[in-house]
Amino acid sequence: MSNALRPYLAAVRSTLTAAMTLENFASQVVERHNKPEVEARASREVLLTPLVISRNENERVLIEPSVNSIRLSISIKQADEIEKILCHKFTRFMTMRAESFIILRRKPVPGYDISFLITNFHSESMLKHKLVDFIIQFMEEVDKEISEMKLSLNSRARIVAESYLIQSYEACLHDLPTNPPTHTMSKRPEICWLDGGVHIVENRWSRVFLSTPVKSG
Amino acid sequence: MILLESHSTIILNTLTEKFTNPSTIDIQFVDYDGVRFHLHTPDRKKTEILLSMSIRCWGELVRYGALDVIGREYGPYVAPTVEPGYDVSLAFDTNNVPQGEDQVAFIKSVALLKRNALAAPFERAFAEQKALESTPAPTDGSPRAQGQLMQIHYRDEEAIYVRASHDRVTVVFSTIFKEETDRIFGKVFLQEFVDARKLASLQTAPQVLYSNRDPPLEIRHLPGLKNTEDVGYVTFVLFPRHFSALTAEETISRIQLFRDYLHYHIKCSKAYMHSRLRHRVTEFLKILNRAKAENLGEKERKTVTGRTFSAR
Amino acid sequence: MSTAFRKIDIDALDEDVLLETELYEPDPRDPHTVLDDAKQKTAQVRSSLSRNDIAGALNVILFEPPYGPNVDDAKSLTLNALLLILNSTKATDISGILRNLDIDQQDTLMKYLYKGMGSQGLADVNGSVLLSWHEKLTEIAGIGCIVRVMTDRRTV
Repeated sequence: MSNALRPYLAAVRSTLTAAMTLENFASQVVERHNKPEVEARASREVLLTPLVISRNENERVLIEPSVNSIRLSISIKQADEIEKILCHKFTRFMTMRAESFIILRRKPVPGYDISFLITNFHSESMLKHKLVDFIIQFMEEVDKEISEMKLSLNSRARIVAESYLIQSYEACLHDLPTNPPTHTMSKRPEICWLDGGVHIVENRWSRVFLSTPVKSG
Repeated sequence: MILLESHSTIILNTLTEKFTNPSTIDIQFVDYDGVRFHLHTPDRKKTEILLSMSIRCWGELVRYGALDVIGREYGPYVAPTVEPGYDVSLAFDTNNVPQGEDQVAFIKSVALLKRNALAAPFERAFAEQKALESTPAPTDGSPRAQGQLMQIHYRDEEAIYVRASHDRVTVVFSTIFKEETDRIFGKVFLQEFVDARKLASLQTAPQVLYSNRDPPLEIRHLPGLKNTEDVGYVTFVLFPRHFSALTAEETISRIQLFRDYLHYHIKCSKAYMHSRLRHRVTEFLKILNRAKAENLGEKERKTVTGRTFSAR
Repeated sequence: MSTAFRKIDIDALDEDVLLETELYEPDPRDPHTVLDDAKQKTAQVRSSLSRNDIAGALNVILFEPPYGPNVDDAKSLTLNALLLILNSTKATDISGILRNLDIDQQDTLMKYLYKGMGSQGLADVNGSVLLSWHEKLTEIAGIGCIVRVMTDRRTV
């Protein structure tokens, strides 16, 4: 974990731990209903002060505690167009699988990218500290994943462009004695094909591997 | 596979087999850019094979000399009558095709049928450039003559524009990015094409220019150009060294497939991102499942007869 | 026939309905006094800071902070004064200063830390400074301090 990120995650962890004091609470408005109060907003006295933890304007977490549920919304840093689209893809990918991510809210709270809704039923059937661990790990990995995907996209684009231009016009190099192709080989990444994924061996300018073999399912 | 092949593997494999073991066939298949092929033995004769191709921009290609190129490449094999619904047909009699090593080369050249048809405007542009180069510059200071601007509408909404001038040939591609992700990924890729020339080893590669939305000056006067967010224009500037006798063939093959190459890699990147996300999400699920308390209830109990016993 | 009456929130008309103001004791001071207090405290904080007396400045600002409705000006003045203190404290001094605060002051400080983080982009907020204060304060005052901030309805 990077040093700059640590206090941020520590603050989220302690706040979330503090908020994780949930108990079963039936609706005071409708008989025989039991709803997450933070969503229903039917009785004022069971909603607690919402807290914001932020690193900067773009990276912030909103924690809304209530008597029987916590809503936690994360705004993920998006520096440019690519990160924005990758972040959107990622959060959509998660929310589409909200069924299996039991604590994931199917729609983010406005102004945030992804929201979680933890109710007393979740905190009863699951270990609270592990739930907190999950949220923290999620926040940690999301940033890493997005920047890794961006790097891999860039390095792939570079390799694609270079191999098109190099191979396409390799013959031209021989026409030009002033520019002998002596150094081409050392700069080109070695590309080999193994089990369907592209593997690019490290070289001078790209530290990133296009892919690590990913086994799905 | 990083680079795309310009020949059709289906033609290559089928003809290789049929030339040695003639038998009746009737297959239809496609290639990039909506090109359709029909390879069959009409009249139930095993030895007579007819290969027909339909290509969207055939009318334009004929205007730029495609028939000459096809005639030069396939000469006697061009069928006198074209199969209805297709644009060009080649007929072979398996008893009368080159043998041995010549056959391999012959089949290879047949497999390049689409490439050769699309090569016509490029070849013409290269020839025009040579002609323009040899005519001296006008002395009265007026601009030097330029070649004809050739338009090849090889896809529904995308086209290639080729124009020769006295020292270069300019090739412009218009391409559509159907969705937001494609557009942004495309931008990243094209930016790398532009930047790649900064590498010392690629100094001699053709110059690549990219513009999103606004068409480049060369084609700006044309009617019916789209300038919405999802259109991109890529310009290749080819200098004579790129189409010398040695390099022209290769250049034509590569440049034709540029659009397909770009989109192929955009799709590959998306697929890769997808598999990454899939992987990441299963990892997250594992972490979340770790939070679930260990089997709180008792184990399933069975009665002697094997029925499940549960307390109510 | 109009159906608008169906949308009327009849619970709000109930005479037993719980109002926001009944959830906590209102501030006995009237808004003008609170604003004057806040201005005075800001001035005191500035003079303490010029003498490099961080602990003194914190003591002043964390005493009887403005809360409740109608005192938005006083609230933002106090927040800005507090952020000034936080920003001008050396990272190594934080723990020592925090240890000398009593429990109410710690809670109030925690409230301001969250408020500061919530007003990113509005006030002169440095996220990493607030986060490091938050971390130290949690270390010293414990999770209970955060719980008290959440449950206290006298928001600053």
